[in-house]
Amino acid sequence: MSLVDELRAVLGDEDVLEQPVELHLFSKDASLMRGQPSCVAFPDNAAEVAEIVRIAERHGVPIVARGAGTGLAAGASPTEGGIVVVSTAMTDIAIDVDNRTAWVGAGVINLDLSREASPYGLHFAPDPSSQSACTIGGNVANNSGGPHCLAEGSTTSHVLGMEVVLAGGEVAFLGSQAPDPPGLDLKGAIVGSEGTLGFVTRVLVRLLPIEPDVRTLLMSFDTVEDAARTVSDVIAAGLVPAALEMMDRRMCEVVENWLQAGLPIDAEAILLAEVVGESDGVASQAGVIADIARLNHTTDVEIAATPEDRALLWKARKSAFGAIAQLATDYYLHDAVVPRTRLVETMKAVYAIADRHGLTMANVFHAGDGNLHPLIAFDASDEEANRIVHQAGEEIVAACLAVGGALSGEHGIGVEKRDLMGANFTELDLDAQARLKEVFDPAGVFNPRKVLPSGSRCFDFGGIRRELPDGVWV
Amino acid sequence: MTYHPAHISWLETEIPGAPGTAFHLAPKTVRDVESILRYCSERSLVVQVWGGGSHSGFGDPTPPDFVMAMERMGEIERWEPDDLTIVLGAGARIEAVEAMLAERNQSLALPERPGPATVGGVVAAGISGLRRGRLYSTRERVLEVSMVTGDGRLVRSGGRVVKNVTGYDLHRVAVGAFGSLGVIVSVCLKLWPTPPGAVTVMVDDLERAAAVVRPLAVLETSGQIQVYLQGTEAEVESQADRLGGRAMAGFDWPADPRDAWRWSLRVPPAMTGPAVTRLPGSWSYIAVHGVGEVRAASPSVDGAEDVRSWAQSLGGHLVMVAGDPSVFDPWGTPPPGLDLQRRLIAEFDPMRILNPGRLPGGV
Repeated sequence: MSLVDELRAVLGDEDVLEQPVELHLFSKDASLMRGQPSCVAFPDNAAEVAEIVRIAERHGVPIVARGAGTGLAAGASPTEGGIVVVSTAMTDIAIDVDNRTAWVGAGVINLDLSREASPYGLHFAPDPSSQSACTIGGNVANNSGGPHCLAEGSTTSHVLGMEVVLAGGEVAFLGSQAPDPPGLDLKGAIVGSEGTLGFVTRVLVRLLPIEPDVRTLLMSFDTVEDAARTVSDVIAAGLVPAALEMMDRRMCEVVENWLQAGLPIDAEAILLAEVVGESDGVASQAGVIADIARLNHTTDVEIAATPEDRALLWKARKSAFGAIAQLATDYYLHDAVVPRTRLVETMKAVYAIADRHGLTMANVFHAGDGNLHPLIAFDASDEEANRIVHQAGEEIVAACLAVGGALSGEHGIGVEKRDLMGANFTELDLDAQARLKEVFDPAGVFNPRKVLPSGSRCFDFGGIRRELPDGVWV
Repeated sequence: MTYHPAHISWLETEIPGAPGTAFHLAPKTVRDVESILRYCSERSLVVQVWGGGSHSGFGDPTPPDFVMAMERMGEIERWEPDDLTIVLGAGARIEAVEAMLAERNQSLALPERPGPATVGGVVAAGISGLRRGRLYSTRERVLEVSMVTGDGRLVRSGGRVVKNVTGYDLHRVAVGAFGSLGVIVSVCLKLWPTPPGAVTVMVDDLERAAAVVRPLAVLETSGQIQVYLQGTEAEVESQADRLGGRAMAGFDWPADPRDAWRWSLRVPPAMTGPAVTRLPGSWSYIAVHGVGEVRAASPSVDGAEDVRSWAQSLGGHLVMVAGDPSVFDPWGTPPPGLDLQRRLIAEFDPMRILNPGRLPGGV
């Protein structure tokens, strides 16, 4: 039987797509890299995914897991062909209010989970900007962050267990509702592995109580340096706000032009800070943050007074990437992370790189985490522009690594940054990661040639014995 | 750098509490660790890694040929107060580091009464503090781990930034792996700022404790419930008023219960209360409400089997922290994915020289 026929025998005709226009739709995620899938499958549960894995292994074709396709690093682009396996039919949510956990299908949309949980006074902490579209399965694959992971950590801190289909079609339940399940934390290795170790079908997540009160502050500055220094000073003062976000002037202009959210368009940079907790606590925390901003020459501090004002400010923040369409047809959104104390110098370096290449750049990022998101607007149909944008991107990454940063704070490695991994890790580090991949996926079925550059598995220490004389301490 | 057996004299040490039959070594550098482990791998000599000895009772360890003490690798490599991160040598004593951090109102949020425990030991054993319900477990606080594999390769995972998705999270797997993948030589941890307000309130029952949405900790010891509150002074004052019990300024964290047998009972968070009622009367305990962890100690093994089968029926565990593994199975039902665990360890420690027998399922 052909690949498609075998899949249809398991999933039914409608749940396997193979028409050219359908394949085109699933040939890329939100990155700029396109692949060519053989077909697209929509399983309903782990048993069906297990069958797909066995079929893929028999046919020797890769499986590329996909949620909503909002990934920015080509993690869900079928760059090596194969079956794109979409999680969107797996949408069950079972909330355990007493234990503050939920079993969630991989295809559940991030925001839907928090909506379902809110009547119980609970929410799911990770909140990527794409949260109204992205899926929990995608969040797990990428260890997604978002503005509010400053205080609560990224997705991995909120995944307690999972149902996962492993190589050979084995279905495993890893982790537990109880703390510290004994043995190696295999679940912790799978979170953030970008679909390269297995296919996660259901996730046991931690839910957090919704805090009783919240204040959102909007602070304007005449220089990016003043804004960045405010971020460092807030953290240094012993406060960990729920979120601490920065937008530069260019970004404020395009967002304001579109949404009229009340963002200042004459400030060089704005900070959006949010504090949560009991009423007395948030009032005093907001006061401390405002004082620090004043010491750093803020030109204006506003505190959102109503839920509507708050929602509008957050909408402005999370809509930033959409608003950029006013500047050019395409954008390249970068993601790198630096120690918070190196923000000011890194931002200067990033602006200098954009200036040098004559690029239109806007910035909106998770300043509290030191997680930068320089966004370059350009026309992707122009080959020369593409080349320059990628060149600038590599320079930005190099500037971040030079101050002790890392390649990616939340978007992942995928294909986009795969070949830069050697700048972040030694050969031995990459070899160790390649061994992990091989243990989980010896046949290389799960999302091959992602995350790790080719040649990562290059060390064989078995040979060392022969090189040394007897009796030598090595 | 290669070593001749003559070099061993300056590595030699005497570790109180460690198995006396073994040879005791105390490496000073990562190169020392690499060299020792390659030597031991080539000769299949078993190495027990030693921090402060606080968690040496887990599992059913194979008697070692060498005990490798990390005491000379306890440097504070880099503390960035404004970044809220710190890089520590594995042998750094938690108590000493916390004393230093307290001067800048910061904390590792690792175990509060660590005794001689080291950062490397606590990370390897996956032990968390009593504040984990609010400040997260040790695994969530570890940003980067450098370790030397059984066959002597220095491997680093993670990074010195608070948010990072670059590569596979081997550092998370190293937490609680009891050194089975490698000897942890240094760790970068996320710090937590310590706000000025700190109050402990005694309450009569758990329902009362629920008046505070996210307390720092709710602990139960011998029938008494204490709510630990942390925040701005105004915040903790109003929370303490709402709780209405007897309030004391500051925190006096209870020490882990001690007896011939020590246990870690782990159940779904809402079952912490019922777990306490399941313990035989002779057991002492600290229950960490909202987390599902009960630290217990008992004069004998009597009743442990019943507690374990109840915990396992809820998807939890009764783990033996100290006792006699020939009398009572230290871990209980093996976890899923044992084959994956074995194959992963084989890639990092092919000769199985590192702490064999410490993990569940004979891994």
